[in-house]
Amino acid sequence: MNVMVSRTPAEEALGVALPSRRAEDWKWTDLRRLITGAYAPLAVEVRAADIDRMIAASPFAKLGFKRAVFVNGAFDALRSQVSGVAVSHAVPAVQQDETVIAINAALKPKGVTLRFDSNSDVPVELLHVTTDSVARSIATRNRIEVADGASATIVETHVGEGDYLAAHVTEIEIGAGARLDRVKVEQESAKATHLGHVVVSLGKDAVMRDFTLTSGAALNRQNGSIAFNGTGGDARIAGAYMLKGKQHADTKLVIDHKVPHCVSRELYKVVLDDQARGIFQGKVIVRPDAQKTDGKQSSHALLLSETAEFDAKPELEIYADDVVCGHGATAGDLNHDHMFYLKSRGIPDAEAKALLIAAFVGEAFDGIAHEGVREALVGFADTWLVKA
Amino acid sequence: MVTEMLFVENLHVKLEDEAREILKGLTLSVKPGEVHAIMGPNGSGKSTLSYVLSGREGYEVTEGSVTYKGDDILALEPNERAAKGIFLAFQYPIEIPGVATMQFLKVAANAQRKARGEKEFTTPEFMRHVKERAAKLNISQDMLKRPVNVGFSGGEKKRAEILQMAVLEPSLCILDETDSGLDIDALKLVAEGVNALRSPERAMIVITHYQRLLDFIVPDFVHVLSDGKIVKSGDKSLALQLEEKGYAEFTGKAA
Repeated sequence: MNVMVSRTPAEEALGVALPSRRAEDWKWTDLRRLITGAYAPLAVEVRAADIDRMIAASPFAKLGFKRAVFVNGAFDALRSQVSGVAVSHAVPAVQQDETVIAINAALKPKGVTLRFDSNSDVPVELLHVTTDSVARSIATRNRIEVADGASATIVETHVGEGDYLAAHVTEIEIGAGARLDRVKVEQESAKATHLGHVVVSLGKDAVMRDFTLTSGAALNRQNGSIAFNGTGGDARIAGAYMLKGKQHADTKLVIDHKVPHCVSRELYKVVLDDQARGIFQGKVIVRPDAQKTDGKQSSHALLLSETAEFDAKPELEIYADDVVCGHGATAGDLNHDHMFYLKSRGIPDAEAKALLIAAFVGEAFDGIAHEGVREALVGFADTWLVKA
Repeated sequence: MVTEMLFVENLHVKLEDEAREILKGLTLSVKPGEVHAIMGPNGSGKSTLSYVLSGREGYEVTEGSVTYKGDDILALEPNERAAKGIFLAFQYPIEIPGVATMQFLKVAANAQRKARGEKEFTTPEFMRHVKERAAKLNISQDMLKRPVNVGFSGGEKKRAEILQMAVLEPSLCILDETDSGLDIDALKLVAEGVNALRSPERAMIVITHYQRLLDFIVPDFVHVLSDGKIVKSGDKSLALQLEEKGYAEFTGKAA
C-alpha cells in the first residue's frame, strides 16, 4: 500500500513502512516524520537494581496487587506473582491490518495469556518496565480472557528510562455475563515512543470499564477496537491526558456495535500545557442489525498555554434507524472566574490551578471502581502541575 | 484614637479595555469594629469597588490609593489580600464543579494560615472548626460534600458565602449585594450569621441597593455612591431617607 522512495532509519530498523500525514488515521501523527531514531529490536543487558527501582516506581506499587512483570518486553516469571490466574505463553497473532499491529508483529513480540475463570478480587497488574540502554524497540503481545460469568480487574502500567520505542498489542475477550475493569497508566520515559493497540470483544451482557491515563513518553499513539458481539453489552471507555513540554498523544477508538441493545460511552479529559498536543479520534459504528444502540462520545480539553493544541475527530457511522448516538468535543482555558474565586479565598495561583486541573480530569476517574487505584490517580493529578 | 483599617483615597478606576471611568475619586475610611453600608443605584460603581478591593483582574487604578492595615494593597494578588484578612462575599457566588466544598474550605484556610506563618489545621481540627459554624447557618454535612456552589439554591449560595467568611475569620468583610435573591427568612438567617461575626476587631462594608438588609445588619455609617463617588454620608437614618425619597435627591437625576 505504501510505496516509499527511500526508507527512513526507523523504517529500516523496524522493517515496516510508517504512515505519513497523508494517511487519514495518522493526519495529526505523522509517524514517518515523528520517529526520527532507528529503533532496532536489540537485546540488552539489564541490572536487577534498575528493574527493582522501576517496579517500585509504579503508582500501584504499595497496593499489594498480583503482578505480571515484563522487562524490556519479556515476561519475568521470577518477579511475577499471578496465583489463581491461568497463565500460558501461547498468544495467537492479531489479524488486523493496522500500523501499530504491523510494527508489533515485525518485532516478533512475546507475551502471555491471562485467563480469569472466576471472580477475582485482587487486581492483577501487568507492569511493563523498560530499562535505560541503547535506543531500541520493544514489544509485547498479551491476551486477557475473562470467562463467562467471571470478573477481573487488571491494571496495565508502563514505566521506563531512556530512549526506546514500545509497541504493545493486547487482545481482550470478555465472555457472556463477564466483567472486566481495566486501568492503563502510561508513564513511559520522557524520550520514549509508546504505541499501543487493544482489541476487545464483548460477549452477551458483558461489561467493560476501561480507563487510560497518558502522561509519559514524547510520542503516544493508542488504538482501541472494541466490538460488541453479543446483545446487552456495556462498555465505558474513559481516558485522561496530562501532557506538557512537547509531548504528543493521539488516541483512536473504534467502537463497533454489531448487535442490538448495547451501550457504549467514551469520555476523554485532556490537559495540555506548554506546546503539548493532544488528539482524540473516536469512531462509533452502528451496524444495520444493531437497533437500540446507545452510544455517546465526548472529549474535552483544558489548554493551559496558548501554544498547546487539541484536535478532535468524532465520527458516527450509523446504519440502524432506532438508536441514540451523540458526540461532543470542547476545548477551553482555565476559567477566570473560577481562578479569581479561589484566589479571593487565599489560595495561591499554582494551587488554584492544580485544584481546577484535578477537578477537570477527575470526571474521567469517576468510573474507576477500585478505590485504591482511583486514589492513586487522583494523587497523581493533584501534583502533576508542580512536578517538573 | 483608633487608626483606620482601610483607607481609600481619591480612587479612580476604569476597566482595562475601556476608557470610561467607573470610580471617579472615591474616598472612604473604615476603622475596626465599624459597619459601613454603601448604597447606590445600579451602575454607580458598587460592585467595581468590591472587586478592586479584593483584587480582581480587569480593572485599572488610574489615580488614588488603597491602604489596608497601613500597607498599600493595590499591587497584591487576591490571595495575598485574603491572607491579610480581606474577604469578599460575592453577589453571584461562583460554581466550581469537581471541587468539594469541604476540600476547598480546608485548602483556603490552610493557604491563608501558611501565608501568615501560622500553624495549619489538622483534618480533625478543621472538621470541628467548620461543623460548629455550619450548624449555625443551617448548612448540612451533605452540602459540604457537594462541589462548591454547584446545584446550590440562591439562598444556599449566600449562606455558603457567610460560612466561608465564618471559617476564614477575615478582619475586613465586604458583602456585595448579599440580600439579592433572598426571601425574608433566608435574609434573616444570613443577617444573623453576619451579625455573629461583628466584633471590635472586625470591620464590614455592606454593599446594597435596598434598605431592607440594613434592618437586619444595622450599620454605623451609610454612604451614598453615585456615578463613582460618595456623594453623601450619614448614620443609619440616611438609609431610611433613601428608602423614602429614592436616590434622585442625592444623585441629581430623576428616579
